[in-house]
Amino acid sequence: MRRETSRPNIVLASLLLATLVAWVGLDAVSVAPNRIVPGSGHGAHEVAGTAGLAASLLPLLAGLGLAWRPTLGRLRLSLGLVVAMLAALPAWLALAAANLVDPALPQARMGIGAGVWVALFLLLLAMIELRSRLSLSRALGWALLLVPLASLTACLAVWLEPLALRQEYLGRSEQFLGAIGEHLLLVGVAVAASLVLGVAMALAMRHWPGVQKVGFAVLNFLQTIPSLALFGLLLAPLAWLAANVEWLAALGVSGIGWAPALLALVGYSLLPMVRNTFVALDEVDPGVIEAARGMGMSRGQVFRQVRLPLALPVILEGIRITSVQAIGLTAVAALIGAGGLGTFIFQGLGQAAMDLVLLGALPILVMALVADALLGALTDLLRPGGAT
Amino acid sequence: MIDLIHVTKRFGEETAVEDISLSVARGEFCVLVGTSGCGKSTTLRMINRLIEHSEGEIHIEGQQIRAFRGETLRRRMGYAIQSTGLFPHWTVERNIGLVPRLLKWPAERVRERVEELMTLLGLAVDEFAGKYPRQLSGGQAQRVGVARALAADPDILLMDEPFGALDPITRETLQEELRALQARLQKTIVFVTHDMDEALRLADRLVVMHQGRIRQQGHPLALLREPADDFVASLLGGEDRGLKEAALLPVSERMLPLGPRLVARERVVQHATLREALSIMLWRHAERLTVVDDEDIPIGELSLRRLVGARSHD
Repeated sequence: MRRETSRPNIVLASLLLATLVAWVGLDAVSVAPNRIVPGSGHGAHEVAGTAGLAASLLPLLAGLGLAWRPTLGRLRLSLGLVVAMLAALPAWLALAAANLVDPALPQARMGIGAGVWVALFLLLLAMIELRSRLSLSRALGWALLLVPLASLTACLAVWLEPLALRQEYLGRSEQFLGAIGEHLLLVGVAVAASLVLGVAMALAMRHWPGVQKVGFAVLNFLQTIPSLALFGLLLAPLAWLAANVEWLAALGVSGIGWAPALLALVGYSLLPMVRNTFVALDEVDPGVIEAARGMGMSRGQVFRQVRLPLALPVILEGIRITSVQAIGLTAVAALIGAGGLGTFIFQGLGQAAMDLVLLGALPILVMALVADALLGALTDLLRPGGAT
Repeated sequence: MIDLIHVTKRFGEETAVEDISLSVARGEFCVLVGTSGCGKSTTLRMINRLIEHSEGEIHIEGQQIRAFRGETLRRRMGYAIQSTGLFPHWTVERNIGLVPRLLKWPAERVRERVEELMTLLGLAVDEFAGKYPRQLSGGQAQRVGVARALAADPDILLMDEPFGALDPITRETLQEELRALQARLQKTIVFVTHDMDEALRLADRLVVMHQGRIRQQGHPLALLREPADDFVASLLGGEDRGLKEAALLPVSERMLPLGPRLVARERVVQHATLREALSIMLWRHAERLTVVDDEDIPIGELSLRRLVGARSHD
């Protein structure tokens, strides 16, 4: 056994310890007789009794033990444990639903408590830590997440009927899919438009240094306007345009709705896009460019065959940042009637229905994570010299 | 082959190169040497029009370089630079085949040429063809850089401190290889360096530049023996000039046939330099060495007197 691996893994141990504290100390679920009455919290011991609670702590304690003297084998075992615990969370909720929700009350609903949320979050962090310790590939990490996802799907289908989140969804299942579609469309169009504009601006800035200063000043200023204010500022000019330009009105442009949302999104997306593209193109090793020119490549060939391919990973990094940012910002666009998942968030806030807020917020979170992961993987693939 | 006639280069107000004239004959190894900022790299880059000269004329084989398009001109000349400038996103094979592909050679001929060059530079084709530059050591990368410069079989090779970033041992190996390559291929080479030992070792024609002007040019030995001014003398090594000259001359130049005296115990091979012979004398406290050939058979002798005293201009 190598000494290196036998030192305690502090990160893993603290994560598991914190999970344990949250699991025991915070509410596991909250149960309300209907949608209007605020729910009452229930700790883990109420979900499964003291014996059940003790049993649920066993894998955590085992994980802590493994983290104390980690070897390769023990780390693998820990990863298995963490994945199993993640997969067990929906089952735990199902158990809570069975034990705590009165079947005589058809309107009764169960919310997920802080204890379970914190456990979910910390266990995911533990999984990331273990993935990097074991240097597993990104793809394998995602594949492992399928296990808890499968468990969640199964539980949702069979046992988790009273889960408030599910009930909110069932009430709006069509709206929900529509909102996801709108959200993705807004983000997609905004990112695509800002990519085209951003690359054009970056090229112009490289060509005319004067444009560079002015361009970055404008983009930086744009970035400092609060998003709500920007939506407000666009309202008047767009309404005027819609009233005076017929084909724009026919297209659906108006002071509220998708048009100002899209404009604002593109405005915000431009800075990261232009900055990354500009820096990417500018920071290609001058020695390489000099060699390319010295070998007799024309300017076009140098750009297409050398500068652009070498800059591509950093440009993709810009697309990644922009996409993640736009996915979040689009939520705010719901306020001016642009649709998307933000609709649920603001409805939920208005009705003090936190589960409805979650119904909007969780998919946004997942979208952002997926976009981040996919574009990150693509960037790795396009690194010079191929993937390592 | 290459003629610079009263060439001047100005960047705005600043004069980088001032009124230089230089002729490099076919097959000549010309080294431009000087402190940084002396205009040697600028001079090199004016030859392939990476930098346009402001005044004067530059001719290649009697034709003005402005008669060609920049790209066309550059594809006719090999170009190698410090830190190699290899394209990190291309394999070794693709890097070397760059200029032939730009010249639209058929793929098969490019592949053959790449393999030929890799063999010439001691890079095993099977091992290195598919590798990326970052998987190579400094010396290997520089070999690829030289192979790329030679790819389209240009008559002229321009090299800008190609070995500047290498460790001393690798650098010396590559210098030897380049010298041997030059003897075989008879390219006309213009080579820029600030390393005087490298310059002396490689040059047929040494051009010393300072503040944009040529201070002196000629054969390395001529410069060592009669430096034009104090600057050239100090750049050439100051008080070390005697040793530098000795490093350029082989033992065979000064040895005498075996005399009636007893053969000396300490030996030196005939193609060692006088500097090495002197070092052996100092090291062994010997005033006489026996000169041997490659089979270790004595063919002559070298005395300290002879080594020191027979300098041609004394």
